[in-house]
Amino acid sequence: MPAITVDELTKRYGQTLALEDLSFEVEEGEVFGFLGPNGAGKSTTINVILDFARPTAGEVSVLGMDAQHNSREIRRRTGVLPEGVELYDRLTARQHLEFAIESKDADDDPEALLERVGLVDAIDRKAGGYSKGMAQRLMLAMALVGEPDLLILDEPSTGLDPNGAREMREIVREENERGATVFFSSHIMEQVEAVCDRVGILRDGRMVAEDSVEGLRDSVEGGTTLRVTVDRIDDDALQAVRSLPDVSDATVDGHEPPTVVVTVDGSKTAVLSALEDRGIEITDFETTEASLEDVFQSYTTDAGTEVHAR
Amino acid sequence: MSSETGTPAESAGTSGSASSSINPESVRAVAKKDFQDAVRSWLFWGLSVFFFTILVVVTGALSYFGDDIAAQGATTDMLVVFVSQITKVIVPLIALVLGWKSIAGERESGSIKVLLSLPHSRKDVLLGKLLGRSAVLSLSLTVGFVLAAVVVAALLGGFDIADYAGLLVMSIIYGVAYMSIAVALSSLTPSTTIAGAAMGSVFLMFYGVWNGLEGVFRLLGERDILFFDTVTYTVESGGRTFELTRPEDWAYFVLNLDPGQAYSNGLTLLTDVEALEQQSAVSAEMFGGELPIFLQDWFSFLILLFWVVVPTLIALYRFDRVDI
Repeated sequence: MPAITVDELTKRYGQTLALEDLSFEVEEGEVFGFLGPNGAGKSTTINVILDFARPTAGEVSVLGMDAQHNSREIRRRTGVLPEGVELYDRLTARQHLEFAIESKDADDDPEALLERVGLVDAIDRKAGGYSKGMAQRLMLAMALVGEPDLLILDEPSTGLDPNGAREMREIVREENERGATVFFSSHIMEQVEAVCDRVGILRDGRMVAEDSVEGLRDSVEGGTTLRVTVDRIDDDALQAVRSLPDVSDATVDGHEPPTVVVTVDGSKTAVLSALEDRGIEITDFETTEASLEDVFQSYTTDAGTEVHAR
Repeated sequence: MSSETGTPAESAGTSGSASSSINPESVRAVAKKDFQDAVRSWLFWGLSVFFFTILVVVTGALSYFGDDIAAQGATTDMLVVFVSQITKVIVPLIALVLGWKSIAGERESGSIKVLLSLPHSRKDVLLGKLLGRSAVLSLSLTVGFVLAAVVVAALLGGFDIADYAGLLVMSIIYGVAYMSIAVALSSLTPSTTIAGAAMGSVFLMFYGVWNGLEGVFRLLGERDILFFDTVTYTVESGGRTFELTRPEDWAYFVLNLDPGQAYSNGLTLLTDVEALEQQSAVSAEMFGGELPIFLQDWFSFLILLFWVVVPTLIALYRFDRVDI
């Protein structure tokens, strides 16, 4: 049974289409990275999963239950780290946790939870004086209350320094080993690739890629970007390069002097020969290996090169 | 609207798509947290000090100027009359200010997601907020009344505790009615600005529009404009009979819907202060010997109950159906 099933989900706010026929599944026991640039619809998806927002069309089920009809039972078994919210300024970390523990009918020790997230020193300080990173740690501790079966973390690294982000990933790993499914949204690939089993990439309310981290990596393995600086370029030559079997894309970047950017998955010399065959003089060239970050870029921006996930 | 109190597992699937259940434990948890939070706010302490100061100033003035009143043994009566005049205006203000951001503020800052990420339904949150804020308001009123009582007792050498307690209880009921209006309005909009405007409008409606209504009804009635009409009644005074007119019964019903009016009427029941009875604008004579049911003092409790229940019911229904 999948931990989360999103089926043909559409969400419209007035005239704005936030999500369009979005479908994906998060398997039980996996760490799923939900990637996308800001505004792609990640928070809207999470809002529907948690019944903060109602779908315009489509269905969402969580832990085998309908997200709207059984929301309370779902939230009883789910730990949530919401994004961009304020805590209660006048309450201490201990009071925040006591409220969460009471609400979930759990028996956690606030001190032990804060120990885990590295905030135990501030246990009796009011949250109004916390930095963004401290607030994020407290919210993570609240999400961990009651050993939830599912953790939904919306941009959990917000406000954390690299060290904090690493500790957060460590906790995600621990929770996953305990048996929890983790649904983890981020707009930074680097943060999800280290910890996620599978990644879904969201863009403009649609899932544009859904694959394991290895799968995404494979899709670009050997995929190389070749930048060739030439004295001149014409459409004819560009077409010739594009028609090469190993080339998936070729564009011109800059004019003085022009640079041809070629995504090639094989022989680079073929590209150079194709240009030279048309009398174009090559003044310089360099190659860069594509990273996962490039995959993400390619899926989420128009300027990027095209990559085909398998 | 579903109001089942069973566990969500039991009620699951039986309720409509947008209707949530109510869990008393959750309501209690939300109320407790909200109380903890609100009771630490400067706003709360500021309002309490403000309220206390006004009470003490009034009682101080009463003891200073009221020597002859004290001699007549009517000090508590006068205290209740003066204080009730003040609380009639101050209690709504405190309730509206305390309730203003209760839900809209949390939606604006997003902290409502902290509440709703935990296993609380939206109804739990709404009721918990109403309970928590009402408790804060009641605490503020009680502290203010008790402190003022100490001052009064010291200055006047004693007073009737029963009447004074009656005034406190009535003020709390009155405050909860306005808190229900405030929390309900706060849940209907995600903007604290709009919520604030709504609070101001409610206050203006009952302290501006409503006060002018009787004059308007009388004027329209005398000129037979629209469906307005007047009723003629006779009053005997000093052996002579006077013929007077008054607006129709329903006009008095509308006038009495004002929670402030209900508060004043209810006070005459909870305290035995004669001066309050004399203030009343209506008398049995106007209605041929007996007041209609809705003008009797006990009916004012129903009116206050109406203001506690109806805004909250509307909010419970609406709040389940919005995107947070």
